[in-house]
Amino acid sequence: MRYDSVLDMIGDTPLLRLDPGAHGVPEAEIFLKLESANPFGSVKDRVAWGLLRDHIDTIVEEEQVVLEASSGNTAKALQIIASMHGVGFRAFTNRVRVREVREMLTLLGAEVTEMPGLSECPDPTAPNDVFGVIGDLMDGEPGRYHHTSQYTNEDNLRAHYEQTGREIYRDAGPVDLLVGGLGTTGSTRGAATYLRERNPETAVVGVVAAEGDFIPGIRSAAEMWEVGLFEPGFYDAITAVDSADAITASLELATRHGVLAGPTTGAAFAAARDRLLSGPGGPVTAVVIACDRMEPYLSYFRHRRPDLFGMAAGTATAEAAPSATPEDIETWIAAGEHVVVVDVRTALAFQAGHIPGAINLRDDLLEQVMEAGMPFSEASRVVFACPTGDRSARFAARAAATGRRAYTLAGGILGWRDSGRPLAGV
Amino acid sequence: MSQRFPLPAAQHPLAARLLADAAAIGEAIERFGSPLHVVFPQVMAENAAVLAGVLRRHGVPYGIYYAHKVNASIRLLAQARVAGLGADVASAAELDQALAAGFAPDRIEATGPKSPAFIERIAALGVTVNADDLWELDRLAAAAPAGSTVPVLLRLSGFASPAVPQSRFGIDLADTDAALETVRRAPGLELRGVAFHLDTADPAARVDALTESMTVVAAAHQKGLRPSVIDIGGGFRQRFVDDPKPFQRYAQALAAAGSSELVWSGHDVGAPAAHKYGNHHPSTEVLERFLMAEVEHRPVADVLRECMLTLWIEPGKALVDHAGITLATVLYRKRAAGRDLVVVDLSRNQVTPADQEVLLDPVLVGGRGEPPDDGVFLAGRLCLESDLISRRKVFLDAQPGSGDVLAFVNTAAYQMDLSASAAAGHPPPAKVAAVLEGDRFTFVLDDIHGS
Repeated sequence: MRYDSVLDMIGDTPLLRLDPGAHGVPEAEIFLKLESANPFGSVKDRVAWGLLRDHIDTIVEEEQVVLEASSGNTAKALQIIASMHGVGFRAFTNRVRVREVREMLTLLGAEVTEMPGLSECPDPTAPNDVFGVIGDLMDGEPGRYHHTSQYTNEDNLRAHYEQTGREIYRDAGPVDLLVGGLGTTGSTRGAATYLRERNPETAVVGVVAAEGDFIPGIRSAAEMWEVGLFEPGFYDAITAVDSADAITASLELATRHGVLAGPTTGAAFAAARDRLLSGPGGPVTAVVIACDRMEPYLSYFRHRRPDLFGMAAGTATAEAAPSATPEDIETWIAAGEHVVVVDVRTALAFQAGHIPGAINLRDDLLEQVMEAGMPFSEASRVVFACPTGDRSARFAARAAATGRRAYTLAGGILGWRDSGRPLAGV
Repeated sequence: MSQRFPLPAAQHPLAARLLADAAAIGEAIERFGSPLHVVFPQVMAENAAVLAGVLRRHGVPYGIYYAHKVNASIRLLAQARVAGLGADVASAAELDQALAAGFAPDRIEATGPKSPAFIERIAALGVTVNADDLWELDRLAAAAPAGSTVPVLLRLSGFASPAVPQSRFGIDLADTDAALETVRRAPGLELRGVAFHLDTADPAARVDALTESMTVVAAAHQKGLRPSVIDIGGGFRQRFVDDPKPFQRYAQALAAAGSSELVWSGHDVGAPAAHKYGNHHPSTEVLERFLMAEVEHRPVADVLRECMLTLWIEPGKALVDHAGITLATVLYRKRAAGRDLVVVDLSRNQVTPADQEVLLDPVLVGGRGEPPDDGVFLAGRLCLESDLISRRKVFLDAQPGSGDVLAFVNTAAYQMDLSASAAAGHPPPAKVAAVLEGDRFTFVLDDIHGS
């Protein structure tokens, strides 16, 4: 099919009927609304274009800079659309927690302002939340910025009402159950409003991350109150899913249904199936919104489920890692040997107190460095150190496997400190 | 006709149960008189478990010190000990009370400005000192016997981050080198760690203060000291309402109508403290958001573990949230200044902290019938025009009459004792602990023996 602009490719996404033999819910028709088929990879393409379409000419004319509180798919789509039109974009966020997402934004040239600890959604109780910062910026230079405000902009809902909901109804007919992850809540609510107008009995389930858990793109139950678009009464149920179940379900979608979808989709699919299996049964049509693709979450999958990446053996090898006691280190140094102590903690922890002479390479950085090649000389002894010795053992095992004289610090830095040995501060 | 703007208070199930038991309330008033403060040690135990649960779930080594100043109740203090908490005391009297409640000195921390006599006792007992000033440190260094290890936390202030509110407490960051030097030289002191307390719910402020505090930890290490604790104080909020909407409606009405209709003339209830009384989020939220906030792209909980620091918190309000109510009988009703008044056997300062208007409606115990169309003002019993229990019109669920009991909900945090006076010879209200055993409430006087 021919298109003249990539923006014309946004929307009208496929609705995939899952093979009942594979999904295992008797008499249920489960459809996936493949928002992942949007050109920039997610449901947020609709949101971004929906928020900008009517304003982009003015923004270009007045050389405004687009502002949004987002750290993920919305920022990506807005950045692409802004750069296609030659205007600037700035993203404000308190969290870019997934490596690939961060790297993608950097690659596309997005200017991301991270404000650790600040709320990303409007929070009336925190005077300097992200929205406050955006507000101050706009007040400082009136007319200079355009704030798309995905959390509170009704255009977000409308895009999903007019398009997503309509498309689902066109392809699936009346829907009994709609399930989607709750981020801004725009997609689920917008589409559900349309579907309920056609079938008032449509049950709507919003999926959130279990309390204290993290699933990229959706919020935890406690965070939902922050979202301006959120109306708890709208949903028939708010279901909390933990990250382990979300990952298992996304893998199942990939291997049994051939759908490469991210953890949010996995969470929504898991919630839909649980609800259908515990329901009264009988013929039912369910639609799950598949909001984005799997690939950007590889590091998230790896972090949460190292066993799936062949790192299950990691614990075994970590156990086999050679260890060095503080006395060993002192003996080697006294004998004139070259000893490198690698502290794998964050810079803040390192600066606050470390083994004198140690160098600081935090674990995720060290991970990347070691993927590229072993950065330590075979002539030196290398001792990896972390608070308790668990993380350092993994690195020691890997380095030892390449023939380095590598060790994990027995008892960790905590043991070092508690033995009365000195720590250095920066 | 006036519109109703009720501000219904969230009720803990235990409080709701007692309030529905008019016979039990009647018995308590008959035995102990009106007004009467009632505390619920069982609710405090629940609050302690919930806070500890958050810290455990995030895998942070922790210590919880109950800020006793929030309520003078020894029953609540004793409950804190049973729950495994430490005690945060702010005076010699509170220290005595903590010892009487069974806390060992190494489970007690002394905070706030301290008198020389208090410092002497702290040093003799080996209670942990949260030092407010270099003056205190010098006296403490002189008082601590050589060879003892009186634990010291340096309370820090003067943070550079604009997100951190200014404070009158603590040692300025610029003076911490001198403070560390005092501790290092003192033969009887041991640096336990650093501390701060921020009057804000904003996680970013605590993250910034934490980050800046780490420079003091680093400086301490340079001096050969071994800090192992970071104390972030309290400031965890109470949950006053189930639903914020009535509060928002009220605030809007107040802004729109001006104060004439809803507020007693001559008094300003101020901008409704949405931050405080409009809060419907759990008291754990401030702590949870702090632990989940990020430093160097890593949750604070992980960073604390990496820094090998034990996190101490000093909750007061969050521990006694919903752990008390205040009962008072209605004396009579009258019309005055064109308003409906309900005169109550209670003084404003015995249920109001620091003259701050409590923006919640009391509950009329055993009230029946339709809610009245209009609200009423509650007057106290003192000979002061300003002694209004509510300067704000409150909306009761039923018509009150002489002898009825009004219950003020969730008063255990500062409302009972912070400002209470014995003006006009009215003694401070009696205080009892109510314990639910089976399906019955037992009341015991809130003293060390109970009777």
